[in-house]
Amino acid sequence: MNKFKKTLSIVLAAGLVFSTTAVAASADEPYVSYNYDAWNDAIPSQSGYRVDEVVAGSSMGLDRLSDPDDELFLSEAASDSLSGASDIYYESELDEFWVADTGNNRILRLDADLNVIGAYDTVSGSDTENFSSPTGLFVAVTDDGLPLVYIADTSNARVVRAIAETSTLLTVDQEFVKPEDSALYTSSTFNPTKVLVDSTGNVYAVESSVTEGAVEFASDGEFKGFYGANRVEVTAAVVAQRVWRMFASNEQLASMERNVNVEFANFDIDSEGFIYTVTEAANTSTDAVKKLNPAGYNIWDTTTGNEYKFGDLVDFTTAEVDESFETRLTDLVISDNLVISDNMNINVLDYESGRIFQYDQENNLLFVFGSKNSTSDQEGTFTAPNAIESRGEKIYVIDGKKNDITVFTETQFGKMVHEAADLYAEGKYEEAKEPWEEVLSRDGGYWMAYMGLGKAALNEGNYEEAMDYFEYAEDNENYDKAYQYYREEFLSRHFTAIIVILLIIIVAIVVWRIIARRKKPKKKGGK
Amino acid sequence: MYEFSELGWLKHVIFHPVEGFEDLRWKKKGSLKYAFIIVALLFVAMVAQERLKGFQYTEDPQKFFNVVPLIVQSVVYFATWVVGNWSICTLLDGEGTMKKVCINSAYALVPYIIGTYISVFLTNFMTLDESVWVYIFEYVGLGWSVILMIQGMRAVHQYSFSKTILSIILTLVAMLIILFLAILLISLFQQVYAFFYQIYTEITYRIRG
Repeated sequence: MNKFKKTLSIVLAAGLVFSTTAVAASADEPYVSYNYDAWNDAIPSQSGYRVDEVVAGSSMGLDRLSDPDDELFLSEAASDSLSGASDIYYESELDEFWVADTGNNRILRLDADLNVIGAYDTVSGSDTENFSSPTGLFVAVTDDGLPLVYIADTSNARVVRAIAETSTLLTVDQEFVKPEDSALYTSSTFNPTKVLVDSTGNVYAVESSVTEGAVEFASDGEFKGFYGANRVEVTAAVVAQRVWRMFASNEQLASMERNVNVEFANFDIDSEGFIYTVTEAANTSTDAVKKLNPAGYNIWDTTTGNEYKFGDLVDFTTAEVDESFETRLTDLVISDNLVISDNMNINVLDYESGRIFQYDQENNLLFVFGSKNSTSDQEGTFTAPNAIESRGEKIYVIDGKKNDITVFTETQFGKMVHEAADLYAEGKYEEAKEPWEEVLSRDGGYWMAYMGLGKAALNEGNYEEAMDYFEYAEDNENYDKAYQYYREEFLSRHFTAIIVILLIIIVAIVVWRIIARRKKPKKKGGK
Repeated sequence: MYEFSELGWLKHVIFHPVEGFEDLRWKKKGSLKYAFIIVALLFVAMVAQERLKGFQYTEDPQKFFNVVPLIVQSVVYFATWVVGNWSICTLLDGEGTMKKVCINSAYALVPYIIGTYISVFLTNFMTLDESVWVYIFEYVGLGWSVILMIQGMRAVHQYSFSKTILSIILTLVAMLIILFLAILLISLFQQVYAFFYQIYTEITYRIRG
């Protein structure tokens, strides 16, 4: 008995050791991976991204800014951490990151590994040299190869275009201020928060107080107009007010609240010059994400486009963070899908839940990753995720309260899905077959894989197989297409058999009729 | 004049919408057994419409199948229709008994049921482009059933056409009231049940000490 107990305890102890090491080896992501099935229910899925590293100010080397011997010296009092950073921008030509360090009123320039290589708290050549809460920036490159920085200097009510001559010197090139002849603005309401520049040098600035869209300037600073306003979301209250307005007197009309659309909060531009906007209103369904052409027209304003949904579809609660969220999309970034092609994915950051939703160009949800802070304050969770940026296969999220940058990198599964989705978007369904099968072997609930395999089977002429896949994908229109071919094939293959069976039936009916007719007169005669 | 079997009478009624129900009434024919079979087939038709359609025709594929709403939509609605119609028409000098109302209503439903079966069968062989062939059977069956229902109610109560229409509208109102009261009653009884169940648990706790 004693011996038995001893062996048992040894086995148990060994088991304990093994189990703990196993847990340590498979460190889980700090978020729950899920995706949406054909019924828009959240189902568990594989992670497409994992947290690679979390970079705080000290590991960026921000202590150099207060070191008088260093070339990046700003002042003795320069903080060695970020403070309320609200924007991050990646310039691909220079392979550099630029961060708007809002709370410290400075702009940081980081290399690809997020080490500081430049810092700017003043802009020379301007009447107002210091920055005041810069919240947005955009970087282009001058002909000389110097960074041309556009800074939305919010509290100074201006957008500055400046050339970064050295690692600490910014020289002003142009200032974009409120249009002089416009009575619409007082200086207190002209506060650009985000800035964007298109390929011709037009500057777009988001104003939280303007609902007509982004303010658009020509590159010489001239006010050009407004760009890409949102529509008013039609709610029951809006409809009721519309009805009331028909009966109201002029005095009543004057005292009525006006239904105003919500201004979009942020935008990004893709390599083809389309501008994507995101609206930071809780659970908005109208114009949550738009894709604008250079004329400011939303090209997703179509029957399919108006069905596009972004963010969480259902109130999704996790055990880690025991709250339910409403979706509040705060930033988006267009990331390149892969090197194969120039397909672009849309990454939307949800401020409320800290989740990043990655979509392809057809609004198919690829991945959901990231999470709000849990009580244990795990690495890779967010408190105030302010901005998102991408570089290659990596996604960067800047947190304005934890004052760090979280780097996500794609997992094996993510790579597979990206490859498959890329080929799928190109219309190379047969080539995409292998990666999709690989995806399915890892996650049998991945909806897009069934669509991809169905289309591949349809192209290859395996109509019955295609029908099965489309049934899994709950897509009855593509199923219908596959069925049509299947039926055609079936009819032509079994043509003789069908004719023979039809003939036999006709003959049988005729014979039966004749027999029945012969019997009838007998009956009558009998009576 | 007419010597038919029970099924023969059913056929006669369906294919003679003008005087079929009058003949049925005159000859005092019509079987309650067949009426119940028809209602059962109505229920089966509704299940078939939900589950047996070709995949290309399932517009809103369901994740979970629940049979209770289908029972309500077929059997319960039919029962309330019969009860409601009888109650209204008794007050409006109708001559029909509840049994006759039940038989005539059930017989009138047959074209709709057959149309549904045919269209469900066809969805398995038709593409979406050919949907007109699927829906024509459904709509023709439905229209035919409506005509038969009006004729059946007219014959069973010996009404004029306009009075029949009025009685049908009133029947629909009566159905609403009946269903409302039924739901009210059910929820009340649920609360009564919960009350007694609480007393029971309370007593069991006390007995255990």
